[in-house]
Amino acid sequence: MNTAPHASNEGDAACQTLRGHLDSYLSRELPEETSREVQRHLEICPRCAAELATRARIRTQLQAAVHATPVPGGLEARVRRSMRGEVSRPRTGLWAVAAAAAVIVCVAVVSFLRVTANPEEAILRKTSGRLAAVLNVGLRDHLRCAVFRKYSKQPLAARQMAADLGPGFADLAPLVQAKLPGNFRVIQGHHCEAGGRHYTHLIISGGAGGGRIVSLVLTRRQSGESLSGGIHQAGVDRFQVVAFESHDYLAYVISDLDAQQNLQWAANLAPTLRGYLAAHAGRAARWGRPPHSTYFAQLCQVLYWS
Amino acid sequence: MFSKHPRTDEFEKVALPHLKELYRTAAKLLGDVTKAEDVVQETYLQAWKSFARFEPGTNCRAWLFKILVNTIHHHRRNWFNLRRVPASEEILERTVACAAPVPERMAQEEILRALACLPADYRAAVLLADVEEFSYKEIAGLLDVPIGTVMSRLSRGRKLLRDQLDELARSYGIGTGGREGSA
Repeated sequence: MNTAPHASNEGDAACQTLRGHLDSYLSRELPEETSREVQRHLEICPRCAAELATRARIRTQLQAAVHATPVPGGLEARVRRSMRGEVSRPRTGLWAVAAAAAVIVCVAVVSFLRVTANPEEAILRKTSGRLAAVLNVGLRDHLRCAVFRKYSKQPLAARQMAADLGPGFADLAPLVQAKLPGNFRVIQGHHCEAGGRHYTHLIISGGAGGGRIVSLVLTRRQSGESLSGGIHQAGVDRFQVVAFESHDYLAYVISDLDAQQNLQWAANLAPTLRGYLAAHAGRAARWGRPPHSTYFAQLCQVLYWS
Repeated sequence: MFSKHPRTDEFEKVALPHLKELYRTAAKLLGDVTKAEDVVQETYLQAWKSFARFEPGTNCRAWLFKILVNTIHHHRRNWFNLRRVPASEEILERTVACAAPVPERMAQEEILRALACLPADYRAAVLLADVEEFSYKEIAGLLDVPIGTVMSRLSRGRKLLRDQLDELARSYGIGTGGREGSA
């Protein structure tokens, strides 16, 4: 390897061999003898020495770029908090340990039974993390209301749907229907609750064989829930979720379509939804009221139509 | 009512100084800062739970990175296949009122972009070796692969990175500084 470089084919071959060692040389991973050979070659070969300098520079730049990545200010506090939660359990002797063990076994059994008995929870448990939690907000309603709840597959009459949606959203279903492919229909439009949260929900059915189910879910954004202004797409089991923010709300398109189709649906519906929510901001402000106000509004509307 | 665990201070003293490098590595491996935060939090929780098995004086940093790698691996298997939709995917740009931020440090941004383009296995090896400066043997332990696999991934990953940066430099008309035949 210490042959004078570029003086012959042998020299070029030596350079090629050496360059295969350069990164490990920089990382000090070469055996001592090989490292000395590389060193000797570098002393007499300016081109390989330049190559070494270039690779060292790239490495330094890479380190600087990664180290410049900002770390969220609250992360350390978050870690400490979660850890303190973990260590705040009372430690009061053997009986407490035995009791804790019994509780753990009971909780495990109950959890298992709940998960086994509740396919909705089984799916939601596959997701974790703060951002995924925001995605779960919409997915939970879709699973509970459109997938696992038994409802009529027959489309509701437009008048009934408008009544169910109440005065604030009575005209939402026809607007959405106008944006759908010809073989899909809005079959349900209503307000519903899942996990103690209020939703406005359209269920859409159709596609090949009529077996596809798509939900359009709207819910008021709560404290701490954010998609950072972005559009997010996720898949879990057979479900695809696209979520985005619009004014004070989270909006979801959730379906058993494939990921690209689901995204396309969201792209088609989003401008309509954003315009709709903007135009109806006043009425939408009443959205978060407890269900009885919705029922009252529906009653008023039914009386009005009667 | 609750007493502070006697080893809390010790854990925080040896483990928390590595938080930033764990986060940055997670962010680059996952390509998602929110996921990275979640994974780092979980890493520390797992580390704390098994701190009784940690031997004082051994390499705490490598131990934490091992937990991080395992946590990421676990998430990749079980998590939502969650991703932010890139602006280029014809989607919703007209509905989202946020312009793509202009990077302050273009060169660093480009390097990170080139790094992000590497296949995940190569990226992990390059990050651990060239940024975090773990030894090849340590990386083999962290990734749970033979050391020959580490070297192979490093060799390919570094070359891909160099090729991308070369291409970038050429596109800027910078030239490659006489580089040639790099292996």
